[in-house]
Amino acid sequence: MSGVRTGLHVCRGNWSRQEDVLLTGDYHALLPAFEAMRVQQFVLEYATPRAGELSIVGEALKDRELGLGCVNPRTDEAEDPASIVARAEEALQFYRPDQIWLNPDCGFGCFASRCVNEEAHAVAKLRSMTTAAAILRERHGS
Amino acid sequence: MRSDMFNVTQVGSWPRSRELLRALRDKQRGLMTRADFERIADQEVRRCVQHQVDAGVDVVVDGEHRRDNFYSFVTDKLDGTRLMSLAEMLDTVDDKAAFEEMLSTLDVPASAIRNPTCTGKLARREPLAVAELEFVQQLTDRPVKVTLPGPYLLTRSMWVGAFSRSGYADKTELGDDVVRILRDELVELRDRGAAFVQFDEPVLTEIVLSEDDHKRTFM
Repeated sequence: MSGVRTGLHVCRGNWSRQEDVLLTGDYHALLPAFEAMRVQQFVLEYATPRAGELSIVGEALKDRELGLGCVNPRTDEAEDPASIVARAEEALQFYRPDQIWLNPDCGFGCFASRCVNEEAHAVAKLRSMTTAAAILRERHGS
Repeated sequence: MRSDMFNVTQVGSWPRSRELLRALRDKQRGLMTRADFERIADQEVRRCVQHQVDAGVDVVVDGEHRRDNFYSFVTDKLDGTRLMSLAEMLDTVDDKAAFEEMLSTLDVPASAIRNPTCTGKLARREPLAVAELEFVQQLTDRPVKVTLPGPYLLTRSMWVGAFSRSGYADKTELGDDVVRILRDELVELRDRGAAFVQFDEPVLTEIVLSEDDHKRTFM
């Protein structure tokens, strides 16, 4: 659809802080479905090893944008901006800088009565992402 | 967009305050008017947007404060739906013991997760997310992302045979109406200036990754 950016978000569950009850596996089996979808951006989890390698979607869908999940919404400690920068630079093997967006892996409270985090932690995670974005723009801006 | 690279945004929802949760509970029990609830939610959205602006987030969200969960909230907007707790839905499940075991194994609290069950023919009483968008647009000039449940998630969760057959012959027929409603919503959000509309389809992974699809299901 023209006139608005459309995206698809997929994750492996975000209702519990017990990582072992959430699903594990890469995006390989979803590639045929993703390829058929007329959306500009795939907003995907990559902040946990459960989501697999960036190359799987990166190689198949380099013509789309990537909403790079780079912070875990279910942990207290904010990610180090340097680790977010490193992950985004890994994505640069497949995407141009303007195709890469930074976002958490999922929401901080998808189920109102079962939010997976607290506001102060969520704010700190947002700041890690914006700090990382500033570094990335400095390094990769034209 | 302020920058054309490495834009920072969110996936949608924000932690709810105690006050908001109390208000949501009261609204759901009929103890608080919708207008009173919206006033409390307005305050929460204001604070949530301010946090994003202060942090330098490029494309902001409203935090889904007005939503019970990211897909059940459609019951506030659509005729032919009813908000049901998983505990209530247990009555319609054939193998109750297996369903309860799944909830407990997966650490799913049956009382905290509610489902938008289809109970008749769907009709959009009001737009799903246009009011959310317009409120955020009053607060900031930054571009706004709006999240909507995807058509697969919505159809799959809404279809509870015992209730839904009064509106639709089968899940596919319901799905056609869900797609039509979401498409109308997307056009309306675009026309009102949404920068980004994200469809949430978390259960797609379950289809391809879960060894036992039946046991995993609760959305």
